[in-house]
Amino acid sequence: MASRTETLSAKPIEQTALDWREVIKFGALLALTLFWMIPFFSALITSFRTMNDINVNGFWSLPREITLDNFVSAWQRGNVNKYLLNSFIITLPSLVGMLFFSTPSAYALARFRFRLNRFFYFMFVAGTLLPFQVLMLPVFRLTNILGLYDTYWALIFFHTAFQLGFCTFVLRNFMRTVPEDILDAARVDGCNEFRIYWQIMLPLSLPALAALATLEFTWVFNDYLWAIILIKSDSLRPVTAGLATLQGQYITDWPVIVAGALIATLPTVIVFFALQRYFIQGLTLGSGK
Amino acid sequence: MASVTYDHVTKRFGDVTAVSDLDIEVEDQEFLVFVGPSGCGKSTSLRMLAGLEEITEGRILIGDRVVNNVAPKDRDIAMVFQSYALYPHMTVFDNMAFGLKLRKTPKEEIKRRVHEAARSLGIEDLLDRRPRQLSGGQRQRVAVGRAIVREPAVFLMDEPLSNLDAKLRVEARANISRLHLRLATTFIYVTHDQTEAMTMGSRICVLSAGVLMQLDSPQNLYDFPDNVFVAGFIGSPAMNFRRATVRQENGDMVVDTGDFQVVVPPAHARHFPEAIGKEVVFGIRPEDIHDPQYTPPGIHTAQVPAQVDVVEEMGNEKLVYLADSQREGLIPLVARFDPRTRPVVGNTVSIAFNMDNIHLFDATTEQALRVGRERTDV
Repeated sequence: MASRTETLSAKPIEQTALDWREVIKFGALLALTLFWMIPFFSALITSFRTMNDINVNGFWSLPREITLDNFVSAWQRGNVNKYLLNSFIITLPSLVGMLFFSTPSAYALARFRFRLNRFFYFMFVAGTLLPFQVLMLPVFRLTNILGLYDTYWALIFFHTAFQLGFCTFVLRNFMRTVPEDILDAARVDGCNEFRIYWQIMLPLSLPALAALATLEFTWVFNDYLWAIILIKSDSLRPVTAGLATLQGQYITDWPVIVAGALIATLPTVIVFFALQRYFIQGLTLGSGK
Repeated sequence: MASVTYDHVTKRFGDVTAVSDLDIEVEDQEFLVFVGPSGCGKSTSLRMLAGLEEITEGRILIGDRVVNNVAPKDRDIAMVFQSYALYPHMTVFDNMAFGLKLRKTPKEEIKRRVHEAARSLGIEDLLDRRPRQLSGGQRQRVAVGRAIVREPAVFLMDEPLSNLDAKLRVEARANISRLHLRLATTFIYVTHDQTEAMTMGSRICVLSAGVLMQLDSPQNLYDFPDNVFVAGFIGSPAMNFRRATVRQENGDMVVDTGDFQVVVPPAHARHFPEAIGKEVVFGIRPEDIHDPQYTPPGIHTAQVPAQVDVVEEMGNEKLVYLADSQREGLIPLVARFDPRTRPVVGNTVSIAFNMDNIHLFDATTEQALRVGRERTDV
């Protein structure tokens, strides 16, 4: 990004003297960035240390010895491998469910003129504004009644349902930016409404879908609260809730927990970088003039 | 191939009437142009025929079939949009083949038709590209190609040239006319550009505020406008208008605008049997105002003084904006003078009206007072 802005803002006169304002600005930004990164760096360092080293020298000291054992024991002894799998089992179907249900409703809300269109739209938005504290008890009781408590399905259903509002909101607004003429052209070409949705609207919404998928993946994957409310069995726990169990009542092996946490962040990082290239803006470019 | 009938069609959006009682018969293989200023209902009329807008009242027929409740895809039409509306995520080939695929046309047939259409439009080497890699002119041709391959009964075009630059537009205009001759299909074309309308249409339908003002051949629209609106809309620069009264003097018909009085030659006056004694709108086209020195032979002129306000040199002619020398605040006249004239700004000159080609309209109804349609000057 930095190099890009440099090439874009061509400077007519070559600068010889140091611009002190630039230096101060750069220094301030660098300091802020480093400050912001402190927890991450300390976690990274901690994950390579032994508990013994920490006990002797304290958290804020340079490591005396470096080891990879923490990652191994987090993965095997700490069950992070199992927890991670659970996370995926919960996150991926939720993601599919959200996008599967929100795209048609977004298309309908974006493109059809019908009575109560506005009302439904606001309902979707309003749903996302409900504070989770209000939902905790009802959702807990509902999953009990439905016999879903302490199953993967409890979390999958909850996340799908609760994120549907936000997904619909985002996609509806994106779909409204697709030129109506393209849809009309498809209508004249011989599409029914479903085919327009499937063959025209969905492909054109890919950038929005990619952005949404990344965001939702992160949210669902990182969810802790609902995981501890709706899941009881250790064997079903997603990684967020699972990591917490590594914390003992009297002794806590910090390096192992931190190593597990670092492993747990990897999927979201990978998803982000994998989908990043789909964030191409202006996919509709070229359809018109 | 099919005829198209608008049978007393009305379209209302809430309280707004966009199209009012449109009653037109378009013959098979005709090139009909809807023209009018923006908001006159021309696009709405086309979109109703396409099935993209519902019809509030009346019927639309394609051939013998009433299509009011027929889905766009079942109307056997193809449409070119002003924005081209190409599918951005598909290649040019897929854009053109899309409609055929939906109709389950055999693959070989699709390939043949797309290549044939692409060849005729000169876009064969672009078939693998995506719309965003094309120039405006190329996109326009792809949009036309997408319509051609469908081999529809009726072609609909909604201002397909208005996003092109002037030079390309002239080229594309001729291409579409050629296409119409070659395909021998009914074309219905919407434009706000009267030059496009005049050059392409076999008949032109002039709309204003949702009402049909006149439906006629280009030449008839120009020579015999039915009303003040059509007279002012067709032709550039527009026809000059003056309020006037008509009276009889010594057996001659005299038009009196208050600023000048001109005599209508008897050969032309007989076209206006009802005009005497009426409040009228007097109309004269810029090319019928001459420099007296360069008046074409054989016409009846009437000379009037006027002050030269602005002169625009066009090379083949001079557009001269004339203000009345006696009084200010009057509607100025525009004249197309012979390029040899030397009008000097500020000078009062004498101008000659070709009285054989004047138009008279009723001042209240704005309808033409003319009866009969033979030209006086031939």
